[in-house]
Amino acid sequence: MKDKNKHIGMHLGTLGVLLGMLLTSAAVQAEPVPLEERLLLCGGCHNPDGNSVIPENPKLSAMNAKYLQRQMEDFKAGKRTNPIMDSIIPMVDESEFKALAKYFSEQKRLVGAPAADPSAPAVADASAPAAAGAMSEQAKADLVAKGQQIYLEGVLATAAPACGGCHGEDGSGNDKFPRLNGQNQTYVVSQLANFKSGARTNDPKGVMRAVAKRLTEEEMAAVAEYIFTLKEAE
Amino acid sequence: MKKLLSIVIVALFSLQAAVVVAADASKPKVYGKKGYVWDEMTPERTAVLKMGGDPVKGKESFRGCQGCHKADGAGVREGVYPRLTGQHASVLIKQITEIRAGIRLNPKMLPFVEDPAISMEEIGDIAAYLNTLTTVRENGKGAEDMSAKGKKLFNDNKCFTCHGKNGEGDAAKSYPMVSAQHFDYLVREMKWIKQGVRGNSNPDMVKAIAKFSQADLEAVADYLSRLPDYRTVTAAAPAAK
Repeated sequence: MKDKNKHIGMHLGTLGVLLGMLLTSAAVQAEPVPLEERLLLCGGCHNPDGNSVIPENPKLSAMNAKYLQRQMEDFKAGKRTNPIMDSIIPMVDESEFKALAKYFSEQKRLVGAPAADPSAPAVADASAPAAAGAMSEQAKADLVAKGQQIYLEGVLATAAPACGGCHGEDGSGNDKFPRLNGQNQTYVVSQLANFKSGARTNDPKGVMRAVAKRLTEEEMAAVAEYIFTLKEAE
Repeated sequence: MKKLLSIVIVALFSLQAAVVVAADASKPKVYGKKGYVWDEMTPERTAVLKMGGDPVKGKESFRGCQGCHKADGAGVREGVYPRLTGQHASVLIKQITEIRAGIRLNPKMLPFVEDPAISMEEIGDIAAYLNTLTTVRENGKGAEDMSAKGKKLFNDNKCFTCHGKNGEGDAAKSYPMVSAQHFDYLVREMKWIKQGVRGNSNPDMVKAIAKFSQADLEAVADYLSRLPDYRTVTAAAPAAK
């Protein structure tokens, strides 16, 4: 319950930032917007260091800069849609995308749930309880193990390819295939579901849609749980 | 009046027939369908062969294939995905372009090689790259050693005419290396060729294995799965491209 309140608070904070930007954007349009100011806008949902603590929103930290820029361009062009991003992206000029992408690409990816105290530095701790609710430790360990199997081996019965083939066994990705390690589970599940249903179609060449169509909801949940714990090779 | 009506009806029917013929012409001709010509060169295959391939670029393009065929190109021992390691580039180019053209029926692989999932140029690059690979992983074999029976069937039915004495295939003629392949993959593909559902079957091979029982197919597959990669056999001679 306490967690939920925190999230609502964050959403309200984001809304405030959003409204503020709406009111001022017209006046400052000609001036280049300082990065610090932009981080207030993006950081509301994605955290200023790109390690979003809201399970629905993706971590942007350490993502490939080219990949991030392409996603912003796709949101701008309506090739990728999301109710929140659709209202934010018109405020950001296309000329700012490159610098924003570079900034987030240079942030350290934190793996695991964030620290409870927002003023304390977030620590990488895969064993910390996530937002998944009342799942027992054993049930979660089983899910992670199942997810690892899918991530590294794929699903032979449905010919679903292993995620690690393209995204890297440590999930580090590249400019074509996004970084996955430590990504928020709820976000990963939502994107897999969107690819499967065809709600998201900006995967180059439709490859991710073909993959997601071969995964069940249970398999998506398992692989997302594994990705959340996945640490990049040192 | 009646005559006019019949002329109109005949005209309509012939029009419909023309449309059917036109639609048929755009559909790929597969094994068992009228007009199928085995190993007929498609424009894309001709173009890829002419372009050649760059194994360095192919390594990057192959990333999109690794989820199934694995980083060493050796697929999985269960045979769901074949071992492509060291396969002749000409064979890989034939198979990929024919899957893309709908001549080899492979709905599981199609989304990942369909234009534009990979470009025409990437086909040649991937093929060149796979040809250079080696693997340390063992391939899948039959549950028990049936290679004596398999060898006899292979030789009695002159399978070596196309696939070579050591199962090394023939790069110049795009006949695949079948040695060191996964047992289950060999059984599955032979079964599909025999049933005529692979799409791009060689009619001569369909005939050659027409009388093979399931046990015969398994014996041949087991024999081939126990033969080494042709490159270790012909190491003294330059490896076929």
